[in-house]
Amino acid sequence: MTQVQSVKTANRARGPESPLELPKPPSMAQNLERAYADFSVSLASWRMWLLLGMNDIRQRYRRSRLGQFWITMAMATTIVSLGILYAYLFKMPVGQYLPYLGTSFVVWSLISSIVLDSCTVFISAEGFMRQVPLPKSVFVHRMLVRNVVIFFHNMIILPILFVIFRVPVGWSLLEAFAGIAMILLNGVWIGLFLGTACARFRDLPQIVASLVQVAFYLTPVMWRAIQLPPRIAHLTSFNPFQAFLEIVRSPLLGSSAPAMDWIVVGVVTVSGFALTTFVFARFRARIVYWL
Amino acid sequence: MASITLDRITVDFPIYNAQGRSLKSELFRRTVGGHIESGLDSHVSVMALRNVSLTLKDGDRLGLVGRNGAGKSTLLRVLSGVYEPPVGRAEINGTVSSLTDIMMGMDPEATGYENILLRSVFMGLSVNQAHASIAEIEEFTGLGNFLKLPMRTYSSGMMVRLAFAISTSITPEILIMDELIAAGDAAFFNKAEARMNGLIGRTRILVIASHSDDMIRRLCNKAALLDEGRLCMVGPVDQVLSAYRRLA
Repeated sequence: MTQVQSVKTANRARGPESPLELPKPPSMAQNLERAYADFSVSLASWRMWLLLGMNDIRQRYRRSRLGQFWITMAMATTIVSLGILYAYLFKMPVGQYLPYLGTSFVVWSLISSIVLDSCTVFISAEGFMRQVPLPKSVFVHRMLVRNVVIFFHNMIILPILFVIFRVPVGWSLLEAFAGIAMILLNGVWIGLFLGTACARFRDLPQIVASLVQVAFYLTPVMWRAIQLPPRIAHLTSFNPFQAFLEIVRSPLLGSSAPAMDWIVVGVVTVSGFALTTFVFARFRARIVYWL
Repeated sequence: MASITLDRITVDFPIYNAQGRSLKSELFRRTVGGHIESGLDSHVSVMALRNVSLTLKDGDRLGLVGRNGAGKSTLLRVLSGVYEPPVGRAEINGTVSSLTDIMMGMDPEATGYENILLRSVFMGLSVNQAHASIAEIEEFTGLGNFLKLPMRTYSSGMMVRLAFAISTSITPEILIMDELIAAGDAAFFNKAEARMNGLIGRTRILVIASHSDDMIRRLCNKAALLDEGRLCMVGPVDQVLSAYRRLA
């Protein structure tokens, strides 16, 4: 029969029937070792997450004629309609504003959907996780695969915009790819961290969703930092969302991103991985009990 | 060589989403036996397994018996590696296949063939190996051209046939089951039973939880009795079953 009791009394209740010494819970070193094993095995099982991620996309558009190109269509519609409206609101030439907004939106949607999807990486994999002992990180990679596929569907719009509005493309394109790689790399820790935290605290996905919404308005996605009065404009350079956006957007539009943005990205990457290593190692084994 | 060693494991489930107090009183009312200790703070946890030690080696066929809520399913999940016990050590050597939910990971919108690939890769096959296993599964299910259609067009019996065929297509070293799975209409049933028996025969270690004494007598060479999360008895099938009768 099931036993219900408070955690504080658990040890006392366990006392009488257990042998003299109870086995110790795993040490932090053991936890770290297992978390590392989880991650390295997950990388080796790339077939699994590639298939899962691709299947997520296929599943969503299975019965529609245009299929996954609805992703592209939806994004193109948003960019064109908002681009024209805001060009008038901001009193800017459409030809100048539309490529800016298009690039911003495509990159922002990658960043924001990684953050939002991170919340449910483990919650949505409950069916798998309660049945088979797969490495937990597999489900984070699956989320990243899905978002990369969506991102490249959205990317199709950019060359079209660039050709129509004659935006020059140069070697800075390489920097843009480095920037995309940084966003994905950070997606790994964000997925592990938010995935774990949201499995435990089920209010968190809602909180994250509203914070991302606020971040959208506070980050220069639709507007430019130079539109702000100079004394507040510099504040935007401390916004990590801004930094991740800029390291891809600037080079796509033909100029290198400010060094400050790369520094912010570097700091976020290092501290994010440090925090996640601790959290994931400590709670990895517990995640499946929370589902 | 496959082996399983459980060393003094304890598994408890924290319950965070319910109001501690009210849940506790709720459980007080509809208790099925077993004692309940009410705690001092509101953080409720359910003790599913307490201080369980168990060793299994090649050739062991273990039947798991116990009343509802005794911890059988939890123990199966520990044995398959899904639950890592927070207290104690669990060492599982060998490839494990858990047939507790044979429909796991199947996508109703995907075709039968796509589902075979999807599931096979989940069971640890490479894409090439998965392609190679298609012919055998195709033949066994007898679904023919239906495999080209999305799975949602299948009858429930056809879905189970496919799920059963895929789940039993590879032989693990350790096989874990919650009741014996059986599938299909009269004709398919015999075929399925033969396939299941073949799989059980080839696997090195079998652990099956069941409420059917007959089945445990037929499949197992030892049995274990769980009660209130404790492993009360491990030994010869007849002894354990009669102890269970006295308890129930």
